[in-house]
Amino acid sequence: MKQIQMTKNPSFSLISTNKIIQLNDIWTSYDSKIFALEGINMSIDRGANYAIVGQSGSGKSTLLKLMNGMMIPSKGTIKIDYVTPNMNDKKFKKMMHTIGYIPQSLGLIKNITVLDNILIGALPRLNKLQSLFKQFPESEIKEAKRIMELVGLDGKENRKAYMLSGGEKRRVVIARALMQKPTILLADEIVSELDHVTAHEIMDLIADAQKRMNLTAIMVHHDIQLALEYANRVAVIKDGQKILEIGVEGDSIVDFQTGDMTNEEIMEMYYDDSKK
Amino acid sequence: MMTPKNNIIIGIIVALLVVTSYNIDANPFDFAEGIPNLAIILEEMVAVEPKYIPTALWAMFETIQMAFIGTVVGVVIALPLSMLAARNLNSKFVYAPIRALLAAIRTFPSILWAILFVIMVGLGPFAGVLAVIMYTIGFVAKLQYESIEAIDSDPVDAVSSIGVSKWQLIRYVVIPESAPHLLSQILYMFDYNIRQTSILGLVGAGGIGFYIINYIKFFEYGKAAIFMLVVLVTVLIIDWVSVKIRDKYIMKSQHGMEVTTK
Repeated sequence: MKQIQMTKNPSFSLISTNKIIQLNDIWTSYDSKIFALEGINMSIDRGANYAIVGQSGSGKSTLLKLMNGMMIPSKGTIKIDYVTPNMNDKKFKKMMHTIGYIPQSLGLIKNITVLDNILIGALPRLNKLQSLFKQFPESEIKEAKRIMELVGLDGKENRKAYMLSGGEKRRVVIARALMQKPTILLADEIVSELDHVTAHEIMDLIADAQKRMNLTAIMVHHDIQLALEYANRVAVIKDGQKILEIGVEGDSIVDFQTGDMTNEEIMEMYYDDSKK
Repeated sequence: MMTPKNNIIIGIIVALLVVTSYNIDANPFDFAEGIPNLAIILEEMVAVEPKYIPTALWAMFETIQMAFIGTVVGVVIALPLSMLAARNLNSKFVYAPIRALLAAIRTFPSILWAILFVIMVGLGPFAGVLAVIMYTIGFVAKLQYESIEAIDSDPVDAVSSIGVSKWQLIRYVVIPESAPHLLSQILYMFDYNIRQTSILGLVGAGGIGFYIINYIKFFEYGKAAIFMLVVLVTVLIIDWVSVKIRDKYIMKSQHGMEVTTK
């Protein structure tokens, strides 16, 4: 377990001009009465490993859906690389090709093989004829196999997706996202249901891919310990509000939001979460 | 259970049963008296010369071929229609008219389609094939758009978040996800079409039913019974084979569907 020490004096720069994602006073509602998110501000550095932590129903999954254009906020502005996410906008739709999104349910296609699932990530690069006849260029198949090796799936390309274990399924969806040649990776609680060892394997895999591919990773977690171990920024969401944002560097934690939470309260939350 | 209200309802149903049976002249005693006639048919069957059996088998083979063509062509036409009729893939202006058309096709039982096509293209197996095609379109399209609407929305959402085109989504997610249902529906339809085609001959649309109705017309019940026996045995064999195929290819993937990650 990581030793947590709070300091009010950040040892690294707070201001960066290279923000890949910016959320400005975001409100969302499903029925215009109950708000899932209430005035969220967030800015994420290019190449960051950003974690969003919160309990079920806190609104953390909603944040990811806003970032890939699957949802539109009722109020506020979002910029992904200076473009407003919107599935119906051609410019953003092109950006979506390089935003890897892994939902909590993973979204694997169960009756097709591992290789076919991974190749889905390359679909935007096919022309109409190639996609009609399912003719992936040799280079894409090579790339898929290279990624399979990277995520530890070599030799399993012809396995049907439904036959895989929980850990393997996650490796497939990560590979599918990497196949997109992503600049941003959004992952929604993809290790929550795994055992401790497997969860760390998957997290290591993402950290490794992030370094190799210069990715910005935004990962939603239920478990704050996991977030502190891997992320360099952690935002805590509660009841649709960001109650805390901390930076993690080595073993020290820096408070970014002159928070109304004390060290004890963070620890309390931490234990609350790990009990669940 | 036996409240006065229930007693009244049961009384009404029994009374209706008696009245309607009387009206259509359905007498259980006639049925009992008719049982010995079965023995006569059996006697006639045994007396039928064996040279008719190859004819019966050939007629059955023709029936199977008709059902095969009807099923294949029907499914090929039904698939694009089912894509257009699925509510989760199209706007109302597309799916509503297609659904109405499919419902209209299903309103006619296949034997009525057969009569229509006998009038159009004349007596013979081709009319029967056309009838099977129509029937298959109506049913497979319905079964298929229902299974498209029932597919898991998670892969659809995950893949559409990549920003793929609608056709890619259909080609790479919707079709593979609904394919196990499709295979089972095609098998069911083929199985069903063989039984259907066996009776289409009754209106002159070819197949083994054509022989059966003619023997009955000339009171050659023994020969009719031999031909019916061939239908029975064939249907049993096809049933058995399709159960085997279903076990081998479909149960496996449906088992996979239960092991979701949720």
